[in-house]
Amino acid sequence: MTRADRLLLAASLALLAALYRGLWFGDRQAAEVRITVEGREFARISLFENRLVEVPGPAGITVVEIRDGRARCLSSPGPQHLCERAGWLARGGDSAVGLPNRVSIEILAPDRRFDTFTY
Amino acid sequence: MRGSDKRGGWRQWLALGVLLGGLTMIGFAFREPPDPLQSRRLMTMGTVVDLSTYGVPPDEAREAFDALERRFAGWHHEWHAWAPEAPLARANAAFARGESAELTPDLATLLRHAQHYARASGGLFDPAIGRLLALWGFQQDERPPGPPPAGEAIAELVNRHPEVGAVSLEADGRARSINPAVALDFGGIAKGYAVDLAVAELRARGVTNAIVNAGGNLRAIGDKAGQPWRIGIRNPRGEGVLGWFELAGDAAVSTSGDYERFFDWAGVRYHHILDPRSGYPAIGAAAVTVIADSAEHADAASSALLIAGPSEWLALARELGVEAVLRVDERGAVQMTPAMAARVHFDGAPGWPVEITAAP
Repeated sequence: MTRADRLLLAASLALLAALYRGLWFGDRQAAEVRITVEGREFARISLFENRLVEVPGPAGITVVEIRDGRARCLSSPGPQHLCERAGWLARGGDSAVGLPNRVSIEILAPDRRFDTFTY
Repeated sequence: MRGSDKRGGWRQWLALGVLLGGLTMIGFAFREPPDPLQSRRLMTMGTVVDLSTYGVPPDEAREAFDALERRFAGWHHEWHAWAPEAPLARANAAFARGESAELTPDLATLLRHAQHYARASGGLFDPAIGRLLALWGFQQDERPPGPPPAGEAIAELVNRHPEVGAVSLEADGRARSINPAVALDFGGIAKGYAVDLAVAELRARGVTNAIVNAGGNLRAIGDKAGQPWRIGIRNPRGEGVLGWFELAGDAAVSTSGDYERFFDWAGVRYHHILDPRSGYPAIGAAAVTVIADSAEHADAASSALLIAGPSEWLALARELGVEAVLRVDERGAVQMTPAMAARVHFDGAPGWPVEITAAP
């Protein structure tokens, strides 16, 4: 095997890996949760990174749980608990808002079903 | 032999070059193009404001969103009904003292438009009931837990007939109220008006495909590369969506509901849309969704139609000039005008009764 052969082999394997990643995980990696406080981005995390995120806002701490491709507002200061009531968010465009704490949790993913909501 | 080795080496290097070139091209193909859909979420005017553009380069969208963020912050301050230093709050204080007050051009426009909707709705939409809203505790960011106000206090304010028609605009831009009980709160129209102004700002910047949504009051212009915008109607009694419809070109939607701001006391829910006739939260409807030509029109109409009773709302829709109305009553049953029924889609058979009414 010449040096060129080895380079060719290495390049082919790299191509295979790139194609595999792009074709199989493209959408999956695109599914993220965007957390903003007062309209400013606080974090943008893959939905496949299981973790709890503590988000400090003006009224206290909002806890966001990310698990198995979904995210939810686990707890948030606010008398009506509208943030928690939004439940699990999984599809593009799903969102929860804790207004007293100025925290917004939005799913960014290509499987958006609605462009916006009236409520 | 040496010569053929050399040739073989040359061919392998060429193959490698071609492969690397191919890889680079594939790399470019996989490089994510900028998302044609750009969005920003603001928290202003006491609600969530979502801005979306389609087909606008990210840096231009960012500039437009920055400009809108500044404008929304300005409107929030200028039109605030109870922040002491806000121009509207200062005008209300002047009305209470029997004095005239200077209104900004936007506040004067809001006043004129609100007077029109108050007349058209026979007073069901009336932004002069700021004192009632304050009495109920809805003129604060968070109402501390407590009982509803005493019936006598409510009746006392209702009997002073705070009506927006009592306010006159003078040529010098000053406003005066002949009724000192008038306190303006443009909560039922300001979000819609702001959305219309925001859409005009986007258009002035050359944006032709966009949605501006202020707390569920929205206006959509253009489309998404030929695809209409798809709007979900949130279920007022549960999770998820009730139904959906598509918008393209230029249209506005507003929903008013009893679930947006409320408090519970002794097992009873009290929401923030007050019936000016009784001084109590409107009863009969859980939510009303309206499609109209401007966000302000839709906002004022949905507010008035939520207050209208089951036998009144269809005639009121006609008076207000809206054809497409969807009303969810307190039991969760849906009533729609034919114009709305032609546009709304339900996923599968809806789990609630649906009635299509006569045209308004």
